[in-house]
Amino acid sequence: MRIGDLLLMSISSLWKRKVRTVLTVLGVVIGTASIVVMVSLGLGLNRSTMQNIEENGGLTSIQVWESGNFDSETSDKDRKRLDDELVKTIAANPHVELVSPVLSISVLAKCGAYENNLDIRGMSGEALARMNFPLASGEVPLAEDTLAFLYGNQILAGFMNSRTGSGYWMDGTIPDIDLQNDAIFIIYDMDSYYNSQGNQGGSGAGAAAVKPPKKYIAQCAGVIDGGLETYKSYSWSVYCNIVPMEAHLKRIFRGKAIPGQPLTATGKPYKEIYYNEIYVEADDMEHVAEVQKWITDMGYQTSSNTEWVDSTKKQYGYIQAVLGGIGAVSLIVAAIGITNTMMMSIYERTKEIGVMKVIGCDMRDIRSLFLLEAGFIGLIGGLVGIGFSFLISLVINRIVAGMGMEMTLSYIPAWLAGASVVFAVFVGMASGFFPALRAMRLSPLAAIRRG
Amino acid sequence: MKKDKTVITVSDLYKIYRVGETKVRALNGVDFSINRGEFCSIVGASGSGKSTLLNMLAGLEKPTKGEIVIAGEHMEKKSENGLVRFRQAHIGFIFQSFNLMDTMNAIENVALPLTFQGMDRRTRTRKAEQMLDMVGLTKYKKHKPTQMSGGQQQRVGVARALVVEPEIIFADEPTGNLDSRTSREVMELMQRVVREKKQTLIMVTHDNELAGFADRIFHIRDGKILKIEEKT
Repeated sequence: MRIGDLLLMSISSLWKRKVRTVLTVLGVVIGTASIVVMVSLGLGLNRSTMQNIEENGGLTSIQVWESGNFDSETSDKDRKRLDDELVKTIAANPHVELVSPVLSISVLAKCGAYENNLDIRGMSGEALARMNFPLASGEVPLAEDTLAFLYGNQILAGFMNSRTGSGYWMDGTIPDIDLQNDAIFIIYDMDSYYNSQGNQGGSGAGAAAVKPPKKYIAQCAGVIDGGLETYKSYSWSVYCNIVPMEAHLKRIFRGKAIPGQPLTATGKPYKEIYYNEIYVEADDMEHVAEVQKWITDMGYQTSSNTEWVDSTKKQYGYIQAVLGGIGAVSLIVAAIGITNTMMMSIYERTKEIGVMKVIGCDMRDIRSLFLLEAGFIGLIGGLVGIGFSFLISLVINRIVAGMGMEMTLSYIPAWLAGASVVFAVFVGMASGFFPALRAMRLSPLAAIRRG
Repeated sequence: MKKDKTVITVSDLYKIYRVGETKVRALNGVDFSINRGEFCSIVGASGSGKSTLLNMLAGLEKPTKGEIVIAGEHMEKKSENGLVRFRQAHIGFIFQSFNLMDTMNAIENVALPLTFQGMDRRTRTRKAEQMLDMVGLTKYKKHKPTQMSGGQQQRVGVARALVVEPEIIFADEPTGNLDSRTSREVMELMQRVVREKKQTLIMVTHDNELAGFADRIFHIRDGKILKIEEKT
């Protein structure tokens, strides 16, 4: 028989027994929906956690530091510094997509009466662009000729009124500063600053008067979105492009050591600027561990979210399996329902099957007819079940959102929808297999027994 | 009548059923042969073994012993799939209770054997319509079995048996569910069509009058052929 004819015949015989077909399909609908919804809960939890990890430094990023594992006997030469050489070496690894040196420095920012200690992190423009900061205003400082800052969303909260001593964390007053437009002055040479401060209020301890260091006006590139209360890994940092930053620092500290930079044995600064950290982005989550180990083996300290991700994945894998298992029970019940329906149908159609055999229907075609019928029950049930699942998922997420939680609890990805329909068809055909064999083996004699 | 080529040869055929401890001999040594283009009736009382004989000729039942050769092929040696394929190619079947598919109209019912053969829709519909024209149901092509009288339904049954252009047609009490006038009509139709197309028709019946339409009448009793009546 032609496939088209087989399909038509099996559909028409399902159509002939509408009520029973609908009831059997309903079983599959419930089975599919319960599996999909259960698995979607596991996936939703997993995804929420992954997003959380992503926001806390990403799934593919690796931080590299100087190894803290050296003692006084380690000669200065042996010390593994983070320099441009290392950046180049790491960049050459095929699994590394992006490498950026990170230079950080603590400074004091002043704006009117407000003061704040800022942690400035200089990174390459490429890396800054890659971080995907959500911006409240302005832009990411990509320009390499001017130094401009991108403020984290909680920076504003850190400004304290130096006269009244009040601040956001003390009494909840929001500092009256517009980061984007107000003039903010930055003092890079903190040592000199505090020395000079000590002088002013001093009791004349006899120390030579120290001139207060120069203040530099800060150019604002942008402010990261998120409000004062939301903490993310970037909330407390000020970002800028490393190229103008290096130039700027070299100019300010001409002939002196830049704070945080190592000194030679004689107390002199090195010519080269050493980085505090190197930021590495692997091309894929799968390669993070490999790249991380490679860098560690070179003698550096590294950190990534791999272990966190791995343990989370494992944990949610179990949850998914348990939830899916609970859902599977109802699909098994539905499968038994299909088998039962097909059996009934065969008993009812013994004569019809016999006639078909007598007038020349292949045994294989009879089997195919019944398998297709069962498969159709699975297909329809699976499709309706998926629709139903999306509905339930929507309701669950509404309820969760209504409770004020900022997460998608139930998440149905396309693959889950597709796989569950395929699975439902498979379950249908598997349940129809024995009935189909039975139909195939029915004696054609049954047809011509008079009755 | 003129002797044609033999199309069916049955030799030494036995069918023994085991009912509990006792053996029932449904067929107890049957030998005969049928020629191409012949119309034969098998007549006997209920339980005489006539239906068993027909079932075995059509390959629906396996004999306990003996040979059935149809169109040169041994039926008793075929697998079930082999029998299906043989029936597709060589055999048409007319049932007592018509056994039409309720969900299908007359054309679809007649075309069903062609559907099983894998013929495309257009060709099989054309052939089915020709057959329906031939059995006089031109006006009823789109009717479902439930919308037709018994006689009309059996005409559809006849058309379905003939649509594959089989060499042999088996009819099992084809008029058993019809009144006598309609029975005659159906019998005349079968007789006419089979003669026109030179097909072999084997009919089982318990009605001596209807058996009289045949060229040869096999009388069967207690699993044996009592006599073969030849009409001239």
